[in-house]
Amino acid sequence: MNTPEVHINAVRLAKSVKLTEGSLTILHDISLTINRGETVAIVGASGSGKSTLLSLLAGLDVPSSGEVHLAGQALHRLSEDERAAIRAEHVGFVFQSFLLLPSLTAIENITLPAELAGVKDARERALTLLKQVGLSERADFYPAQLSGGEQQRVAIARAFITRPAVLFADEPSANLDAVTGQKIEDLLFRLNAEQGTTLVLVTHNDELARRCQRQCRMQAGRFIDTTTQDLADVG
Amino acid sequence: MWASIAWRLFWRELRRGELWVIAFALFLAVGSVVSLSGITEGVKSALLQRSAQFNAADKVLRSSQPFDEQLFELAEQQHQLSTARQMQFDSMLFSGDAMQLATIKAVSSSYPLRGDLVLYRSELVTAGETAVLTPGQVFFEARLFDLLGVKVGDEVELGLAKLQVGGVIVNEPDAPLSVFGGSPRVIMHLDDVPATDIVQPGSRIGYRYLFAGDTTALAQFEAEANDKLSVHQRWQKMDRESAIGGALERAERFLLLAGLLGIVLAACAAAVAASRYSQRHTRAVAIVKALGATTAQIRLIYGSHLLLVVLFSLVCGLVAGQLAIGAVQWGINLYMADYRAEFSIRPLWLGALTCVICALLFAARPMWRLANTAAIEVLKQPAAQFVVDKLQWLTGAAAIWALMWLFSGELVLSIGLFLLCAGFAALLIATAAVIVRLVKPAAAGQASAPKLAIANLRRRLWANSFQLITFSLAIFLALLLYFLRAELIGQWQRQIPEGAPNQFLVNINQQQRTVLNNFAREQQLQLDQYYPVVRGRLLSINDEQLQQEATKEDRSQQRVGVGRELNLTWLTALPKNNHILQGNWFTEGATAQVSVEEEIAERLEVKLGDSLAFSIGGQQVSAVVSSIRKVDWNSLQPNFYMILSPDLLADFPATYITAFYLPAERNQLLNQLARLLPTVSVISVDNIIAQVNDIIDQVTVALSFILLIICLAAALVLVAQVQATLEQREQELAILRTLGARYALLRNALLLEFALLGAMAGGFATLLAELMLLLVQQRVFELPFTPHYSLWWMGPALGIGMVTLLGWWQLRRLLSIPGAQLMRRVLQG
Repeated sequence: MNTPEVHINAVRLAKSVKLTEGSLTILHDISLTINRGETVAIVGASGSGKSTLLSLLAGLDVPSSGEVHLAGQALHRLSEDERAAIRAEHVGFVFQSFLLLPSLTAIENITLPAELAGVKDARERALTLLKQVGLSERADFYPAQLSGGEQQRVAIARAFITRPAVLFADEPSANLDAVTGQKIEDLLFRLNAEQGTTLVLVTHNDELARRCQRQCRMQAGRFIDTTTQDLADVG
Repeated sequence: MWASIAWRLFWRELRRGELWVIAFALFLAVGSVVSLSGITEGVKSALLQRSAQFNAADKVLRSSQPFDEQLFELAEQQHQLSTARQMQFDSMLFSGDAMQLATIKAVSSSYPLRGDLVLYRSELVTAGETAVLTPGQVFFEARLFDLLGVKVGDEVELGLAKLQVGGVIVNEPDAPLSVFGGSPRVIMHLDDVPATDIVQPGSRIGYRYLFAGDTTALAQFEAEANDKLSVHQRWQKMDRESAIGGALERAERFLLLAGLLGIVLAACAAAVAASRYSQRHTRAVAIVKALGATTAQIRLIYGSHLLLVVLFSLVCGLVAGQLAIGAVQWGINLYMADYRAEFSIRPLWLGALTCVICALLFAARPMWRLANTAAIEVLKQPAAQFVVDKLQWLTGAAAIWALMWLFSGELVLSIGLFLLCAGFAALLIATAAVIVRLVKPAAAGQASAPKLAIANLRRRLWANSFQLITFSLAIFLALLLYFLRAELIGQWQRQIPEGAPNQFLVNINQQQRTVLNNFAREQQLQLDQYYPVVRGRLLSINDEQLQQEATKEDRSQQRVGVGRELNLTWLTALPKNNHILQGNWFTEGATAQVSVEEEIAERLEVKLGDSLAFSIGGQQVSAVVSSIRKVDWNSLQPNFYMILSPDLLADFPATYITAFYLPAERNQLLNQLARLLPTVSVISVDNIIAQVNDIIDQVTVALSFILLIICLAAALVLVAQVQATLEQREQELAILRTLGARYALLRNALLLEFALLGAMAGGFATLLAELMLLLVQQRVFELPFTPHYSLWWMGPALGIGMVTLLGWWQLRRLLSIPGAQLMRRVLQG
């Protein structure tokens, strides 16, 4: 049996922010290893530090102390632009509030990361993804003309266009009703399985978390519990 | 790749407001700079061309030494300029037993290069066959016919030459515009001069080189000729000589600086719009960065947006400015048919430079900051209010000062003006802060429109302060320009009031006064006072003999005199437009005193109490300096360097000067007058009055244009400011509507908020305008202060009207959106 390849490795991560009254530590001593192709849910209540952890793992921010490695690169030592280059090559995002650019159409939003990374067949890839997310008819719609569920499907298509090795999803269904949320989750996991992407999912929804191979529960900036599911249990 | 993203975003963003506000602000700045500087250049060039007509050439070189052929060769062959020659000297003319001292002007055939020499084969200036100056002929000023007792066709002797009287001089373009007249004038051909044998070593002869041609060629020639000039040769000043040169120079500076403040307002609007644009795009940049874009890519995307806007505004501004210049040149042509419009590159580069300064120092900073947005912002709530950082304030201030320097061309003036504006801004902010803090929110209870309005004003204190500054400044300028325009035009018109004397009569003797008085009574002409004139030479100051001829070669330590005879007068009352600077005007019964004009006193180093000795008609007269006077040389009335106390001159035979107003349609009266008093010279100043009136018209148009620019720029600032608060207002409205606030309450609160802001801005502006007018009235126009009552309602009314209308126009749509839809928009971000 092959040893699984380590994709993300966080060692003793901590994050503090300066406030007028002093400083506030949001993350304490977090260590985490995620293997290639693994799906991991970071679970916790609001304010537990899970989104901060995601921002550090994805290289959106740098830790106050500790180390983060993604795809063999030491993110904590890189500049903002160097981290942007790593993200362009390896990372996809799905956000809670969709975060589409309002002045670009659905297809333009999807092609944006590919264009930034200099991918030649960006439009063809986008059309395929639009079909996969069931929005071929709405390619030229602006975000304001789409429902919340449709906007999130566009965001998912955008996340997969660069065929990222790792996908970060921050509460992907939290802003949607239950039925639409369910459909979005199904779509996310289906595309993830098809492309063999490593998935790091941040959620406060235990049911959604259970669809991942591993759940890391956070409270007040610390891991309090890690559960690993049998692959058979993961739906 | 970034280019296609940039272009797509740019194209879509055009539908939103900010890029248009930036574009329009820059357009306004470029357009107004190009047109203002072009228009003032046009007016100046028209004035120069007109003054060229008064000088018979574009450039005149004066010399006391014979013509230097090298200079003519240089001008004609290397610079393709037209040239003419002129010699001037005083000499006696003889006809039989009669003789008369005359000022002779000998000119070459090409004279004049500008303007017209009109000669009639007649003794009268009003009728006759047009004649051309040819060798062998002389033409006389009208009074000379009588003084010499000659007619057209008679022969006169000048030196050794005998010349035939060709006729009368009707118009001599470069005749000296002196109300003192001097000797009668004679024009002859230059070719006849050698035959007179008058030119001898040591003769006092003035040589003039006349040049005309293309402005650039003239400038190049002047630069080259300067190296070759001897101490005897100097260029004649062209523009300053006209009575209105100084007034135009002041007007030009005033126009440019007033226009500049309009430009600064426009630039502020651009800065606000750019800040707002950047703030609205912070989220987008964070998203794109999270998706892997680098800072350099973001800079290229947003930098290209700014570049496209700048290019668009620049091209439109340059074209619009040129069109305005074209319109003005067309206007000048209407009243000056031979005006040669010249294309000047200066307004264009000045406009382009202004655009670059505004774009780089006002608008580029927020765009630059935008690219520094961290990717982590994607996970944060976007800020609803835009923040202007310290560096942007600094770059903005630097830009304002740079523009002030660029336009005024004076470092000290620009620093002074900048500090004044900064002080004004600080004062306004402080006052506004105090007022808003003093107005306490009403006690808890029912929500009312005033309560909401004041709460809104307090919440946006900083943004409002900025609005208050720009609006107060705009209204202040509008009021100042409006009132100053009236003041300025009034002052010029007072200088040349309706019915002001336009015909001056000189060389009137005591007997002729009676004849003239009778004539004036019969013809119902209003004669001005008689000024007695006695010619005398200043001999010594405090017994120190004066050197009578000022030459550069003379190295003696002797004090230099005036170098010519002075026109002396005696008066009991201080003439109009004269002000005593030192000492006192003659008291009744004052004896042996003299009042000296300021400039000549400085040149001769004369102080109060000095004793001046004059030689008058062979007698010596001494007087003590009792006052130093300032004279307004622009005023169209006889002015004197030296005024003596009546006791000194009353016994000397004097000639008199007087003046009267003659409407153009009664000009034939001048013939009657010439026949009645043939030895009296009539000098008409109609041309100068017409020129001043033209300039008043031009300046009035330019002032109205600046008023328009300032109002547009101020409106732009408000549009940009309101746009900047749009999202925050949307949120507040959504919450208030959800909580059940009625449409009428929200509308009234909004109207009241803007009305209060407008009233404050209008109030400040009124106060400042009144102060400034007080200063201008007392210092510049030297008039007693009169309060401008209409200002006190116009200022606040203008403020309330402008601010409320513009604010309402922008926000009315927001109010009409149903509550649920508003909430959805806010929640979607």
